Amino acid sequence: MKMSTESHGFSLKEWVFTTDHKRIGVLYLIGSIAAFAVAGIMAIMIRIEQSSLGPTLVADVATGGNQYNVWLYFHGAAMILGFLIPGLTGFAANYFLPLMIGAKDVAFPRVNAFSVWLFYAGIIMALLTFVVSDAPDVMWTGYPPYSVLTSGNTAFYVFTVHLLGFASILGAVNFLVTVIYMRAPGMGWNQLNMFVWSTVTAFVIQLVFVPVLAAAVTMLLFDKYLGTHFFDPSQGGDVLLYQNLFWFYSHPAVYVILLPALGILFEIIATFSKNPIFNYKAAVYGGMWGIVLIAGEVWVHHLYISGMPDWIRIGQMVSTLMISVPVGLLAISMFGTLYRGAITYATPMKYATACLFLFLIGGLTGIPLAMTVMTVHLSETSFVHAHFHYIMGIFATFAVFAAVYYWFPKMTGKMPGKKLGDLGFWFNFIGVNVTFFPLFLIGVQGMPRRYWNYEMFPQFEPIHKIAMLGALIVAVGMFLTILNWIISAIGGEKAPANPWKSVSLEWTHCPNPPGPGNFPKDVTVSADWTPYNYGR
Amino acid sequence: MWHRWMVGVCALIATFMVTTAQAEYFRQKESDLDPKVFWIDEKKFMGVKVDPALELLDEQGRVRTFKDFTGKPTILIWSYFTCDGSCSAVNAELLSLLMETKLQTIDRDYQVLTISFDANDTVGSIAGFKKKLALPEAMVSGWHFALFKDPDQIKPVTASTGFKFFWAPQDKTFYHPNVFIFLTADGRINRYLYALINTPKDVGLALIEARQGRFKINEVIDYAIGLCYSYNYKEGRYTYNIPMFVGAGSLLLGIFIFIGSVLFYRFRKSREEG
Amino acid sequence: MKGRMVALSIPGLLLPGVAWAAESGKIVDPVESWNHLWHEVLIDLFIMGTIFAALAIHWLIKYRATSPDQVGRGPTLSRAQAWSWAMVPAFVFMADDFFLAAKGWTVWNTYRKVPENAMEVKVTGNMWYWQFEYPNGATSTYAYDTKEGDGLMVPVGTPVVLRMTSNDVIHSFGMAEYRVKEDMMPGRITYIWFYPKEEKQSWVTCVEFCGTLHSQMYAPVKAVPPAQFDAWLKQKKSTL
Repeated sequence: MKMSTESHGFSLKEWVFTTDHKRIGVLYLIGSIAAFAVAGIMAIMIRIEQSSLGPTLVADVATGGNQYNVWLYFHGAAMILGFLIPGLTGFAANYFLPLMIGAKDVAFPRVNAFSVWLFYAGIIMALLTFVVSDAPDVMWTGYPPYSVLTSGNTAFYVFTVHLLGFASILGAVNFLVTVIYMRAPGMGWNQLNMFVWSTVTAFVIQLVFVPVLAAAVTMLLFDKYLGTHFFDPSQGGDVLLYQNLFWFYSHPAVYVILLPALGILFEIIATFSKNPIFNYKAAVYGGMWGIVLIAGEVWVHHLYISGMPDWIRIGQMVSTLMISVPVGLLAISMFGTLYRGAITYATPMKYATACLFLFLIGGLTGIPLAMTVMTVHLSETSFVHAHFHYIMGIFATFAVFAAVYYWFPKMTGKMPGKKLGDLGFWFNFIGVNVTFFPLFLIGVQGMPRRYWNYEMFPQFEPIHKIAMLGALIVAVGMFLTILNWIISAIGGEKAPANPWKSVSLEWTHCPNPPGPGNFPKDVTVSADWTPYNYGR
Repeated sequence: MWHRWMVGVCALIATFMVTTAQAEYFRQKESDLDPKVFWIDEKKFMGVKVDPALELLDEQGRVRTFKDFTGKPTILIWSYFTCDGSCSAVNAELLSLLMETKLQTIDRDYQVLTISFDANDTVGSIAGFKKKLALPEAMVSGWHFALFKDPDQIKPVTASTGFKFFWAPQDKTFYHPNVFIFLTADGRINRYLYALINTPKDVGLALIEARQGRFKINEVIDYAIGLCYSYNYKEGRYTYNIPMFVGAGSLLLGIFIFIGSVLFYRFRKSREEG
Repeated sequence: MKGRMVALSIPGLLLPGVAWAAESGKIVDPVESWNHLWHEVLIDLFIMGTIFAALAIHWLIKYRATSPDQVGRGPTLSRAQAWSWAMVPAFVFMADDFFLAAKGWTVWNTYRKVPENAMEVKVTGNMWYWQFEYPNGATSTYAYDTKEGDGLMVPVGTPVVLRMTSNDVIHSFGMAEYRVKEDMMPGRITYIWFYPKEEKQSWVTCVEFCGTLHSQMYAPVKAVPPAQFDAWLKQKKSTL
């Protein structure tokens, strides 16, 4: 293919067939924001539906579930598989990881291009939910026997997982090989950006565990359409095994989201505090690799109420609680990086600061959920729902938004609009807390998850109204944010070369936006260089 | 760590067991009694607890409660001790299966409890029956025999476990299902297996299952073996838990792709340079 | 029991708090134990959260840059300092983990130790209702659309153990009032027990997604005086 990035003007063909990691990153961003927008609309519909006891948006009591369950399915599957994982490991890793390690591209550019095609195929597969007559209604978890017995087309769920999962595996091998072999000469392991480390650890998890999920949903597909009985207990199947396999991947998947999100925040906090990472090695080797080590031994906390043997429930309570050790080390490093800093508050730093508090609320509410006996009451209630929305939903989403704002000058050469950006931020931050904090309160009182009809608990109606109000505030914030990106990308003011005065390679060694080959001159780093040595 | 290790062990064991298991799989058993006649609707009775206060007479004629006989996984057999017409075959069947099973050890891991549903049996008839059964030395301590203290309780108690029987005077024999009832340590019904269609492996697996996940650390292999199979209600026996192997095997996929990519990258680089 | 302790070697050794409270014959109400533990956990979370949040707010305000070119003066850790900043917090977190695990295990034992005199009710889940079967064979159910049926009737003052299974998909039996829930699965049996101590009507909701009418799968749980319960049970039995 011709190197035609020199030419000006937009060419769709160039974008579709691109093998440039930066363009692939942008394609990932566009696709994942599209998934986010549609899944976000579902979220608002869910909140409006719950704002009153009986049917609000759904037609009637008898069939309302059919509509509502499809919204829930799409919201969950698209947000996790179509937005968070690709947004963090697809967009952010693709665009910035090679820049951070001083590489000209990734190890396998064409594989990279193939993976973004798979990603788009997966997004389209997910969006078919709104076209087919019997849309999948199996939640993002797809537990059998329901997912096998349902009249909904579970196949769309399975193929979505296949496509997005395979895209992710290809990304994982690509970036791991890239980091191992393509670092700039002189760059040692202890000189890597936190984001690079977080991506590496996330991809290690992805590489090991995604195939298990793919295998599980494939057997689901066989059960439903080919008449096998892998998960059918009446014919020798194991009814609980799917859940074990599913969570064996899907709990580590939480760390696939958490780790890059933390990596981005480390970058932003270090840059805007003009400080080195506090206790870098503890955060990398204790924190990130610690999470990798424990990730595969905690999945049973999703099955605390599923009749597992007691010793497993208790054993995994201990291993789940132990997650607090690596996460605690990461938190100390992140908070410690603020200490004696020189902090400025541009829009990305506002999001990062908000994330510190979202992280605290989401992380700490996870502790009772690690305890088997606490979970017996709290599981499957709004408490769980609020917990994982804080830590996985909002925290990680804010990290993606922070990343877009932080690297906006790098990607577009323009500065992101500050006023609209800050306004959007405040709407978002206030909105998410108004939405989700009250859900903790009714969760403890027993409001079940995934219910649109809660006529037996009329006392929870006011809280749901508040939550809906919060969701509408968020909707305004999200609209302002995305609008701001579009306006700034087209007509924003020209960005200086290094607007945030970072010392990381992607800011110091390549232009905004970087051309083909990324760096005008080959990059080498000295032994005392780090991406965070401010003023020393 | 722990669980992944177990899955690994599970996969290993499975490869060892494939050959023996397949031999058993295809072995035919002959039967003159159609077991379907007395088929127990097991889903209705699973989890039922035999009344712990039920009074029984043991081999020495002492009064014991049913609870005294529980405490470890137990194979409960409803049978009779005196042969008017034909003798009860179910005990002998179980004996031959237990002799072959290597998965669990009698007395240490489990016990057998044969209780007579024949109101005419007495403590005296136990000895004769035991003699005929010819229990090997190693099994004597783990195989108990008992009678109902109150014969009126025979019908309701056996029925509470789904067990049906009747006396056929012209044949001078009892018709009843040849069923092994697997009880958990606290005396709840965990599984039914029928004598004539099962193998030593099935009996061993049902015993492992009756432990309900309570294993010592040195018994982890038992637990792992249990994970490799799952009970098939339709066939009335244990079949491979295939998703377990697929899941464990798929763990290797990503790692192989990664190793392949590294090798390819190095190969390509050496070709470019050399 | 010993086997379980060995299997959990490390936490097992560190758990002084594990006592078989139910052994004394007195019924330990799981709701009280749960609420008590919840209170303790909240205090624990509040302390940790406050420390981190207060430090963060303090630093975020105190260390604002005074000029655009200012750089941070964050400390460079010596080897020993770096190790201590890793090991000390790790041990503090671990200690807290074990503390919580010990507390959690103790209450968990209360949950799993069914009192001897518990009344056993068989619960079968169907899409989308429950059937309750009492020891005398009487059955009860509840229909969401007509609001007819008594749901789960229990006598005040008797612990109730539920033997649960499902006829079709996975359901879950969640009684928020009694702080307990457990899945019900086809082909498997699960148990929970609870202790209705006062006259009260509460709800059981299905809390594992089970299809179209998942949010209509609920039923009343009525704790009534023993005499009223006996009369009800007799009447149910006679209409069988």
